[in-house]
Amino acid sequence: MHKLSTKKAFIAYFLFGWLLLILADRVSELRVYQGATIAITTLAIASIILLTGYTGQVSLGHGAFLAVGAYSAALAQTYWQSPFWFTLLMSILVTAAFGFILGFAAGRLTGPYLAGTTLALAVGLPTLANQFAFLGGETGLVYDAGMPPARFGESFTLYKWFFWIAAFVVLISMFLLRNLLNSRFGRTWKALRANPTAASLCGINVPSSKILAFTISAGVAGLSGALLGMISIVAPSAFPLSLSFTIITGAVLAGVTSLLGSMLGAVVLVVIPEIADVISHQLGDSEKITTNLPGFIVSVLLILTVLFSPNGPAEAIRKRRESHAKH
Amino acid sequence: MISLRRKKSILAAVAVTSFALVASSVPANAEVGVSADEIKLGITVPMTGIAAPGYNKVAPAMKAYFDYINSNGGVYGRQINLIIKDDRYIPQEAINKTNELILKDEVFALVGQLGTANHLAVASKVRLGARGIPSLYLNTGYSGFADVKKFPTSFMHFPTYAMEAKILASYIKENFGTKKNCLLVQNDDFGADASKGFAAAGLTFAETVKYVSGTQSAATAQAWITKFAGSKCETVTLFSVSSATAAALGVAAAAGYKPQWILGSVGADATTIKISLNNPQAQALLNGAIGASFLPDAQDTKDPYVKLFQQVNKDFNGNVDFDNNVLVGMNSALLTVQALRAAGKNPTRKSLIAAVENKGATFASASYTANGVSKRSHAGHTGYWFGKYNLAGALVPVDAARTIYTTDSGTGPVTKAKSKRAKLPAKGIPTNS
Repeated sequence: MHKLSTKKAFIAYFLFGWLLLILADRVSELRVYQGATIAITTLAIASIILLTGYTGQVSLGHGAFLAVGAYSAALAQTYWQSPFWFTLLMSILVTAAFGFILGFAAGRLTGPYLAGTTLALAVGLPTLANQFAFLGGETGLVYDAGMPPARFGESFTLYKWFFWIAAFVVLISMFLLRNLLNSRFGRTWKALRANPTAASLCGINVPSSKILAFTISAGVAGLSGALLGMISIVAPSAFPLSLSFTIITGAVLAGVTSLLGSMLGAVVLVVIPEIADVISHQLGDSEKITTNLPGFIVSVLLILTVLFSPNGPAEAIRKRRESHAKH
Repeated sequence: MISLRRKKSILAAVAVTSFALVASSVPANAEVGVSADEIKLGITVPMTGIAAPGYNKVAPAMKAYFDYINSNGGVYGRQINLIIKDDRYIPQEAINKTNELILKDEVFALVGQLGTANHLAVASKVRLGARGIPSLYLNTGYSGFADVKKFPTSFMHFPTYAMEAKILASYIKENFGTKKNCLLVQNDDFGADASKGFAAAGLTFAETVKYVSGTQSAATAQAWITKFAGSKCETVTLFSVSSATAAALGVAAAAGYKPQWILGSVGADATTIKISLNNPQAQALLNGAIGASFLPDAQDTKDPYVKLFQQVNKDFNGNVDFDNNVLVGMNSALLTVQALRAAGKNPTRKSLIAAVENKGATFASASYTANGVSKRSHAGHTGYWFGKYNLAGALVPVDAARTIYTTDSGTGPVTKAKSKRAKLPAKGIPTNS
């Protein structure tokens, strides 16, 4: 398939970002807030796609990386009074270092063993906050992007500010990830996923490639965690086990090998509660239906995706286009 | 070129999908959530999850009282519409649901929000203060919420936990000063506020057990009780939520451990304990326990407020088991109606806040203690009376005069209160302005 050159891709990302900013000015505050959530979820899903889709390493505990990123950023802000941009940088570096260490273990594990290890991490890690007072306990830490600059005017709302930050950071990250995955590193990881033995025979250092993927994936997840902390809270309740499952569900719905699909996965995850809300309203606003319907819809979609399009709709579209091009 | 165009069209499609539901229109009236015939209010509470037993009755009780007011003409002709969202007692969920209430449902104000950690998270992340969104009659006693500078739009219903702890401490020192006293608290700001109060009153516990919110169960309670029994605690103060109090009492009863229980008001409710332990006779576990309350007991049918609320419960709330949670909910609603009336015929968020600050201390309330709200403090009620639970789970005053004790949230002394309880408006329908 023909790929865009880096320059054209940059223009495409720039135009898309511009379009988002224009849209943010024309929709309600609720949609802007949802837009910020979509952007952050996109990045979290992208971190899974890099790891699982490209190197074949299954992580069921990426929520833990988001937690590490969010806490790193919040700690830097709380105890060092660091500027916001620096806290984002800290979230990447600390989580990447964490991922690097975990990558050593991950390099020796495959399949369900790796999935189990990462799952245990997601279960245990957020609860650590309750053991150490400096992590803020159940209430957590305050992490703040600050109020929008006064020059934007009074009508520039807080959520628009969050959206701008999230969209800007995510677009840059996605552009860099795209380039990385199209580079020799991406090709190496794809070779790993296809057949580690063959990759090794071709001279690829399998363990170090896996560790590198784990490190970068963790760093990206950490950044999305910090952004999540910006719009929500940095506390154990913000990083439940279900967060890890939600991210991986988004990746499966999007197609684990499609970076562009991560956006689709994020949109689906944010739009589903809206749909569930409408349905539950039609059914009389029962508390049980309102609470359980989003999870039910996601589960059904997940089953349908695995049954009919195991690599996700984005991958199916890509294959269809390739097939059309051949004919 | 074709490929680039296709790429662009995919990007555009994703963008359009992202914002498919475009631009909710701003209401034509002057204030968000107020129309010619309706006032929209919102609340997030644990309707499901571990803290739901008991607390899931607060919001429906509020709605029932609002329905009672609506059936009597509403507030200046406007019907009150309370929108209830389930936050499962999880701070992150409370943020999400509050955002829905404000951005999607466009409520005028929040009322009766429940849970310290939840409201702290909501106030800091949804920025209620900076956005001028009122949050009336919080059903939490965290003393920080009384701080006008930090929480300029939040108003408390409960006395602060620090006050309650200080008043409990003075009772424990006076009556059980020579005993081995122990404490169970939640490991968050709810518990920290109480611990601050106990320390300010000069009471130290021989053993303090802290539990993480959401982990309370029979299994975790086993560890608490083992610790208390092992330390030979003679009194155990349970300053915990209802589900934790129920778990502790249930496990202790099964183990034959019988200290003098002293119960914080948050977790001491007979019907909740029955539900939590799935035992219709579990209220008997409370028998002999010391408790403190700022409201009358829910079983005190001679009390005019309780009498009215029980009738409203019968007529508008499906006659659910009337307990402290229903009482708290209806009292929050009674105060809210008076606040809405005091805000004027064309209420704005600003006028609502000003009304509570200027007139809130005079509103009728089931509480035996004065309301401490003013422009300088957003504290709620300011004291407690002591009682002993009987076999039916009712709190009976330890003295016939029902002495009310009051104090502040700092280091001030605990004294007997002299305030007089406001009279219930005729038929329980406020006519204030």
